[in-house]
Amino acid sequence: MTKALSPSQLDPVTLEVIRYGLVSICNQIDANIKRTAFSPYIYEYNDFAVGLAGPDGQLIAQNTGGMPPFVADSVGMAVRDGLQIYGKERLHRGDVVLCNHAAVQGQHLNNTVMYTPIYAGEGEGELIGFFAINVHWIDIGGSVPRSTDIFMEGLQLRSIKLWSKGEPIEEVYRIIENNTRTPAELLGDIAAQFAGCILGRDLVVGLASRYGTKTFHKAVALILDQSEAAARELIRSIPDGEYSAETFLDDDRVSDNPVPLRVKVIIADDEMTVDFSQMAEQAKGPINSGYFGGGQTIARVAFKYLLGAGEMANEGTFRPIKLVLPLGKIISADETAPMGNYSTPFPSVIDVILKALSPALPEQATGGHFATHSGVRFHGRRPDGSAIEAHDSGHGGWGAGANHDGAGPFRTMAHGDTRIIPIELQETALPFRIEAFSLREDSGGAGKFRGGMGFRKVYRILEPCQLQTNLDRTKFPPWGVMGGGEGKPGQFTLQVAGAESADVIGKERSRALKPGDLFTVETGGGGGYGDPRERSVELVQRDVDRGYVTREAAMREYGVQIDGEGRVSR
Amino acid sequence: MSFAVAVDIGGTFTDLVAYDHECGRVIYTKSPTTYGNFVQGIVDCFAKAGIEPQEAGFLNHGTTLVINALIQRHGAKTALVTTSGFRDVLEIARGNRPDPFDLHYARDEPLIPRELRFEIAERTGANGEIVTPLDREALVQLSETLRGLDVAAVAVFFMNSYSNSDHERVAVTLLQRLLPEAYVTCSSDLTREWYEYERCSTVAANGFVGPQVNTYIRHLESDLIAKGFAGSLFMMGSNGGLLSVDRTCRQPIALVESGPIGGCIGAGAYAEALGFANVVAFDMGGTTAKCALVENGRFSVESIYYAGGYVEGFPIKSPVIDIVEVGSGGGSIAWLDRQKRLHVGPQSAGSTPGPVCYGRGGTQPTVTDANLVLGRLNASRFLGGELALDEDGARASLQEIAQALGYEGDEGLIRMADGLIAIATVIMAGAIKQVSVEHGLDPREFVLFCYGGGGPLHASALARELSIPMVVIPPEPGNFSAIGMMLADARIDLSATFTGLLDDATVGAARTSYASMEVEASDALKREFHAEEVFFERYAEMRYRGQRHNIKTLVTGAGDRCSIEATFHRDYKRRYGHADVNAAVEIQALHLSAFARLKRPDLSRLPRAGVKAKPPGARDVYFAGFGNCKAAVYEREELPAGFMATGPALIEEYGSTTLVWPDDRFEVGQLREIRIYCKTERSGA
Repeated sequence: MTKALSPSQLDPVTLEVIRYGLVSICNQIDANIKRTAFSPYIYEYNDFAVGLAGPDGQLIAQNTGGMPPFVADSVGMAVRDGLQIYGKERLHRGDVVLCNHAAVQGQHLNNTVMYTPIYAGEGEGELIGFFAINVHWIDIGGSVPRSTDIFMEGLQLRSIKLWSKGEPIEEVYRIIENNTRTPAELLGDIAAQFAGCILGRDLVVGLASRYGTKTFHKAVALILDQSEAAARELIRSIPDGEYSAETFLDDDRVSDNPVPLRVKVIIADDEMTVDFSQMAEQAKGPINSGYFGGGQTIARVAFKYLLGAGEMANEGTFRPIKLVLPLGKIISADETAPMGNYSTPFPSVIDVILKALSPALPEQATGGHFATHSGVRFHGRRPDGSAIEAHDSGHGGWGAGANHDGAGPFRTMAHGDTRIIPIELQETALPFRIEAFSLREDSGGAGKFRGGMGFRKVYRILEPCQLQTNLDRTKFPPWGVMGGGEGKPGQFTLQVAGAESADVIGKERSRALKPGDLFTVETGGGGGYGDPRERSVELVQRDVDRGYVTREAAMREYGVQIDGEGRVSR
Repeated sequence: MSFAVAVDIGGTFTDLVAYDHECGRVIYTKSPTTYGNFVQGIVDCFAKAGIEPQEAGFLNHGTTLVINALIQRHGAKTALVTTSGFRDVLEIARGNRPDPFDLHYARDEPLIPRELRFEIAERTGANGEIVTPLDREALVQLSETLRGLDVAAVAVFFMNSYSNSDHERVAVTLLQRLLPEAYVTCSSDLTREWYEYERCSTVAANGFVGPQVNTYIRHLESDLIAKGFAGSLFMMGSNGGLLSVDRTCRQPIALVESGPIGGCIGAGAYAEALGFANVVAFDMGGTTAKCALVENGRFSVESIYYAGGYVEGFPIKSPVIDIVEVGSGGGSIAWLDRQKRLHVGPQSAGSTPGPVCYGRGGTQPTVTDANLVLGRLNASRFLGGELALDEDGARASLQEIAQALGYEGDEGLIRMADGLIAIATVIMAGAIKQVSVEHGLDPREFVLFCYGGGGPLHASALARELSIPMVVIPPEPGNFSAIGMMLADARIDLSATFTGLLDDATVGAARTSYASMEVEASDALKREFHAEEVFFERYAEMRYRGQRHNIKTLVTGAGDRCSIEATFHRDYKRRYGHADVNAAVEIQALHLSAFARLKRPDLSRLPRAGVKAKPPGARDVYFAGFGNCKAAVYEREELPAGFMATGPALIEEYGSTTLVWPDDRFEVGQLREIRIYCKTERSGA
């Protein structure tokens, strides 16, 4: 390989080869975990992240396809806690450490980071970083969603060694095994997570040895600096100013009071401050998150949305992002707060940050998205004792932009490459048959560009079971931007067998369903962009022809006439 | 009738290889691809080769027609007929965003827009039971609507038809009768595996390309017959086997990767003939590099393919050789981003304008320009001298980024060119790692088999990057795709969703299913290819109970539960490094591959006849770590079997150049393949 140009300067080609190497190591481990894991959270939802942290816990590189909340440095905070507790001198080669603690990550306890120190250089004596993997552990005990403090939510592991100097600590394995409802699956996932840490570590050692640790460190420093420069350049392109926006969650899961989500974003030259001081206080229900895993993560994820897909995020990317976040807010809750559904506010808060900036970035802005997990769960036991357990999730509409209609249905901004579970798979094992699965007409907000549509999924219940639902933002619909209209909020309805009509149902903790009941999920649409009267007649015609927009809505929202043959004119 | 002919229609050239089974003579020719009327290009090739169509006994044909039609959206006006309540399955897709941080991300529009998707009352349950009978009356009425809309194709997709296809078959028969002009196709004819979106997307694509492919093939067939062709026409399927014309007309989607498959088959045939168990087939062209694994003579065949890519494209459930592709080819452009970070590709200068050195208006430096500057290409005999390369232009374009990065002077320029290739090498090695390391295989135990215009030039560097000790360059690397097509077997793949815990009863039921699949495939091969002997391979998709991801395991010969289970544990351990012999195993799907071997050319006759030996020339070539070296330059045609020499060397031939590094040695094998023994960390040779 090419040598450095001069002692002080790093060869640009070597730099690129190292940069590529670091990301491809993370991606290789990502692929291994996806294939070896036992739990659907990993394979179906990509609910994990692979990262390389520096010797002080700073995020250097991570896998490309992880869930958005993990991109903001889900592994570094765990590593830094371990460094504080043990110090570098007590983190040996062959140690493997676990952390899921609320005071550290501040997310639900399932998110458990496992990491191992990487020693390279002469005699493998130099600590060059940590290879870390954050995995959603399938079950760690606890009783979400009824929890009112973190101790009801399961086992906490605060920087606990699982392996020491290359030897497993069997007591820790035994603690974990006896604090989960699904020991076989969890231990299978842990084996995959462990194998990933070790292989990742060895691959990083290989890369560092090839160029020498000195060059490796120089490359890492430069990689972070270049990412920082790209981030600052983006912020500089946003006009200086203070930008505010708000929305609300329907309630805090205990009372009926709306939960205000208010942000102020301050752009000053090449720095961006996200001010959360007007955010709702810590909630009674399990929708809280901690300072790092909550507020800091949300601000960073929103910034990554501005930065786009091309720029890999690392510690450098986030250096120009400042946070004003007093403790005790819903996204900076104390370590005893309930956090089981910690990410409930995430999609709305990410979106509200982007909404705040929309006047400053009219070309990049998009209408609000449906922003709620819209989850449903069917559970119970059959007469033969077998369990019914089915989660299904709502995908809804995204906002329109300056030159395109909104897309979707997709999952929220807190999700990524998360796929709808095939109906043909569901129907082989679950207590329902789907009678319709369609786009939800008139759900996209009107605009020069229309918001994306939600969907409608109609479940015919075939066996007695219990229903649990989790829908939000029904009273605070997705907003339009630049004069665009609101998207329609989501709605769940139930038509009891034999009844004439369906009733809207709210958040259900456990509602009994019986055969013949018809349960319908309609997910929210996205907000529109621009004045609907500026929408071209051709596009309105197309939407009417396709049934995306009903005739009545077209005439009402878009100011058009439609003749007897269905021809639209204005 | 003594000739076997293979034709590969590429973006720029139509390549033809003809082999005379009587005297072992081989003819290579190429002619510009004739857009609008591809048949003309084939006829031109025949003329150029001096063969009359009546001399051809077989014509094997690969084409990018299907993938191009899908990607460019040049297809038929197609209607979808589907179960009441489900017309939006095609548009909702799986609701995922593979590009999570793109606020403006959208999947490509569905091939069939909503106004052409129609619902019919009918419903089959998950176990194949009829929940709602098919409303034939409504179907008759719908056929009137479809006639009025002047649709050229109708795709029929009903929920759960993978478990019971009765309704689909009734609907297809009825619609064919009512709409005799239209191309009618149904999902259960294409795949019998579950997942509604994937199945619906597959039949939509099949309908979309159906009329065009039928017209093309029938036209080709009748034109060839008119010119005197009386042999058999076969199409190159994405599964690596030949397909009959009738089958292709019913399942044109089986041609989706027809183009790049030929090289993989050729690699497999050579691996078998040369006695290599494991080979990485690596193909580098102008815009991309592709690789696939041949393990114990077998390709891994995946049952899903994303047309237009996973990020924005749509899935097709059809057996396709597992090929990993990266945007790194001779035309890949080197560029700096705003932070002065150096990138190579995925943008490509393609063939127009092409690299700067082609002198056709390209301005950004490419991999080919870098190779020229490093002395690795012969400026005066590129493509046999048809294209004189502009070395000054290449240098000037590289100079620009070299300066921006602080590489100064002549030496800096060389370092820049070398660096550009180093980055391209790392990216291509990444693709090989993806098909090997991520499947639990060690690339060092494979032979690197390189072809395509750029493969032989980059082979040794790739081998070094991956610590692979041996590289093989087959004869005619530039025509290798067409050669592979001539070596293909007839092949039919069948699969079915089949779920159950692996116990004796399940194994019994699976055996029954396999047997009936074998009868079906064998009948088809006998009917379509007059096959006398048919070989089968049985595969099962299995997993540990509770897992979501299946692995496909070869279970031919594993008759009972114990041996199937043992095969699964072994494959699982190899792929993931661990296995749990106590955990329960479940079957998720059955796959059957059926083959009939057709008459193959004698591989030793494929290289072009040698001319008289000349002493080698010499040229200065730059190698990282060695500096400028005087490399011997050989004419490939002149090197006899058994020839041996050490690097540095360049072996030139029409359409390709093989680069041998200073501490490598090479020899010419019995099939006139070039074998390069690379110095790697492991071999130390």
